Amino acid sequence: MFKNYFKTAWRSIIRNKAFSLINITGLSIGIAASLLLFIVVQYEMSYDRFQPNYDRIYRVVTQDKFDKDITYNSGVPVAALKALRTDLPNIQFGALKSIYGSQVTVPSAGNATGNKFILKSGIFFIEPEIFNIFHYDWLVGGADALKDPNNIVLDERTATTYFGNWQQAMGKTMVLDNAITLKVSGILKNVPANTDLPLSVLVSYETLKQYGSAYNHADNWNTTSSNFNVFALLSPAAKAADIDKALLQFSKRHYDVMQTNSVKRNFLQPLGTIHFDRRFETLGDHVTSKTTLLTLSLIGLFIILMACVNFINLSTALSVNRSREVGIRKVLGSNRSQLFAQIMSETAVIVCLSVILAMGIAWIVLPYIKHIASIKEPLTLFTPKTMGMMLAMGLVVILLAGLYPSFVLSKFNPITALKNKMVSASVRGVSLRRGLVVMQFTISQVLIIATAVAVSQMNFISKADLGVNKEGVLVLSSNGDSLIQSKQMAFKQQLLQVPGVQSVSFNSDAPSSDNTWSSNFAYNHQPDEKFQVTLKFADADYIKTFGVHLIAGQAAAECDTSREAMVNETLLKKLGIKNANDAIGKEIRMGRNKWLPIVGVMQDFKTNSLREEIKPLMITSNKSFQFLTAIKLRTHQLPHTREAIQKIWAQFYPDYAFAPSFFDEDIAKFYQQEEQLSLLYKIFAGLAIFISCLGLYGLVSFMAVQKTKEVGIRKVLGASVASLLKLFSKEFTILIIISFFIAVPVAWYMMHTWLNNFVYRISLSGWFFIVAITGSILIAWITVGYKAIRASLANPVKALRSE
Amino acid sequence: MIKIRDLEKIYRTEEVETVALNKISIDVKEGEFVAIMGPSGCGKSTLLNILGLLDDPDNGSFLFNNIEVAHFNERKRADLRKHNIGFVFQSFNLIDELTVFENVELPLIYTGVKAGDRKKRVEEVLDKMQIMHRRNHYPQQLSGGQQQRVAVARAVVNNPKLILADEPTGNLDSSNGNEVMTLLTDLNEQGTTIIMVTHSEHDARYSHRIIRMLDGQTVLENIMV
Repeated sequence: MFKNYFKTAWRSIIRNKAFSLINITGLSIGIAASLLLFIVVQYEMSYDRFQPNYDRIYRVVTQDKFDKDITYNSGVPVAALKALRTDLPNIQFGALKSIYGSQVTVPSAGNATGNKFILKSGIFFIEPEIFNIFHYDWLVGGADALKDPNNIVLDERTATTYFGNWQQAMGKTMVLDNAITLKVSGILKNVPANTDLPLSVLVSYETLKQYGSAYNHADNWNTTSSNFNVFALLSPAAKAADIDKALLQFSKRHYDVMQTNSVKRNFLQPLGTIHFDRRFETLGDHVTSKTTLLTLSLIGLFIILMACVNFINLSTALSVNRSREVGIRKVLGSNRSQLFAQIMSETAVIVCLSVILAMGIAWIVLPYIKHIASIKEPLTLFTPKTMGMMLAMGLVVILLAGLYPSFVLSKFNPITALKNKMVSASVRGVSLRRGLVVMQFTISQVLIIATAVAVSQMNFISKADLGVNKEGVLVLSSNGDSLIQSKQMAFKQQLLQVPGVQSVSFNSDAPSSDNTWSSNFAYNHQPDEKFQVTLKFADADYIKTFGVHLIAGQAAAECDTSREAMVNETLLKKLGIKNANDAIGKEIRMGRNKWLPIVGVMQDFKTNSLREEIKPLMITSNKSFQFLTAIKLRTHQLPHTREAIQKIWAQFYPDYAFAPSFFDEDIAKFYQQEEQLSLLYKIFAGLAIFISCLGLYGLVSFMAVQKTKEVGIRKVLGASVASLLKLFSKEFTILIIISFFIAVPVAWYMMHTWLNNFVYRISLSGWFFIVAITGSILIAWITVGYKAIRASLANPVKALRSE
Repeated sequence: MIKIRDLEKIYRTEEVETVALNKISIDVKEGEFVAIMGPSGCGKSTLLNILGLLDDPDNGSFLFNNIEVAHFNERKRADLRKHNIGFVFQSFNLIDELTVFENVELPLIYTGVKAGDRKKRVEEVLDKMQIMHRRNHYPQQLSGGQQQRVAVARAVVNNPKLILADEPTGNLDSSNGNEVMTLLTDLNEQGTTIIMVTHSEHDARYSHRIIRMLDGQTVLENIMV
């Protein structure tokens, strides 16, 4: 019986080539798109799930509650580690400190000064106890390798990069930041890329204890660095809520006695939420919001739904042509369930073909999607999960797409069906078909609006005035040790000799960055204010190099230690000072340091990403923190200038790697995720629109056949081509307008929520909605137009004779 | 074999009520060849549809082999139909996607005959209908007469007790029409009961008895000698 079903199905596909092509194209693109989105979403959801204790691992984090706002910090004070172990003895704790931009020098036979590598993804000073919490595979050695000072552990990939192969790395020495000699005492198997703890270069924590001052690591309760992370492994019986209660008592005991201007509390952050919680900094390369993943999942679902809708629409429309076959089968003894099974089998054949094609499409496109989504892990389609998903998707699509047409066709009355008296209007599902077209255009329009808004917002961000000059500023990083500091002035003089260099500034941080160095502060000899001030350290040329505007006073004098300060407008606003000149001469103090006179007030510039508000800012000079060199370049002859700068760097700092980046590129990295999302929106919205057009084209083609007689009669009676075009497009235009009114509130809510992630954002103007409706109508008319014009231009005599 | 009494079928729309069969009563004995004639709209096709268990009457009784089938549900009707009744239509009603062999095989599939037996029986009947050489062709590749022979082959492949023929020669020229009528007569002579709706006096003469209908009622019965 089934053989017969499949045989008929296959021949029916061949017979209705155009419709089959539309169905198979739509379904395969839909399934491929959904599968790719599933892979991306599943990858993001898989972060750190390979850890056997995934559900029991937590990070101890800090919340600072000020009078008006709350700040979150992924770290704890260094002194808290010991106290946690004493106060909560039943929990296993392990700590690590991450440092970014350090340099390692690896001895090399061919290079007298050794090969230098800048560790942009960070080194981790790590306690061996971390390995009681997290599980990693070792190629050589174990956690004990990190027990003693001056030991380093590399992962296989890094060891191979540094020493040619990992076997040769064991026992070799290397130098960290030109100061600390370390011995390679263990090799870790490469950690999967889907982790927020990308361990590749690990130095024993005992080393950090010896060289603490070089890395701003002080064993006290005053400073909380987001780079110092404490992880906890709870016993299977322990409940996180109970530990949080204990941590509340712990916080009261240790922080409340400090009498600061905030209420500081520690609590547990589950490992499973680290990848999704934007409140905290990540040790990995990015944080993904769950809303983004939900949006991508919904787009995947929408696309597959649209492909199913096409299938249902075309199948029910085509059922008119198949009524005779159904009638014959019924007359010959087929009952409803047999017919139902037959039509479901036909759907299954089409879906199976589409699935095979979808696999091919996904296989070709996967590398591009991997690139767009910045997935570093090699991805393959042929995993049990993906295959399982494919199978499930196939089954769901068979049911979604097949159930209704099977129901409609198998219910045909055999007498009417046999006489071929079924006409489009008498087939059940005309109103359903209209409903489904409305649904398709609603989804398309929501996606058009979402894409237009996302692209506009990203354009707005990339062109937004940060309040500073971001073009042509080259930033060189170093660890700012005493050697670097001692040569800075001579280095600067040499750089200024290069014709392409306009100005040079040493500083701790670019004007806009994702660094969050902040402190409590006091103004004008008052008690500490109830909000924090962001700190940047810079020399006097910072103003010139980054094009910062002063609205009062002058730049702070250059000095080895802090002597004068500049503040921004936001700080004055928060202090209630209306006239910038009033602040000049007043004194400000960060933490418990000395009072500094305010000598300049800067016009506000964006201190962080545009997701956040401008923060109150104070800039003072302090040579020991000014380890970045910012160089404002003239735009002509950039490559020559860059080459000259590199030569000067090598001349002054032969022991330090040259690691330049452009300020505008660093800023672009803030919005990498939004850029990716905006690109994914564009691609998948395009696909969704294409699928709906495909369906529309199919429906109009069918309509053209059905209306042959009507068109013929109308033409004989004198109808113009334009009036016939109207006949075809009127219904679809009405349906698009209906779907527009459904799409508007949905898209408005969705994009309003998305834009709320940005403090600086575009407004949701009516233009986006006008573009969506105009775009949809135009797309529909173009789709309908070709078939409609052909039908309108056909010879009416021929049309009527065929009747 | 067939005994209908006071059978009524009324088609209703919102505004119009059409009486298709008006308390009609007919008997057909096993082995009979009956022709039903009458002008368009007199209810012949409605009667044939009810006799073929494709439709159910609104009122009255329909005994098929002494079983009351007037109000059988769809599943029971389909079951009874596929084991007992064969159909021949004016427009042949072959499935375009299936070959000659597959079209004839279809009723056997629905009655659950095994593949080996099916092949044997289809080949036998195609041979008998002299269409064996066309077994792998599709309906569009055949002439009208050949298509109708395939349709007759399909109608008889299950050895039905009753064949219902709805204007079987309506789409054929006289030579092919005569051929089909000879086939039906042969089948009847071998014991199959045949009820045929026709407009053709010539075709009706092949039958044993002609029932003439008007406005949903029988008006005359001619016994052919």
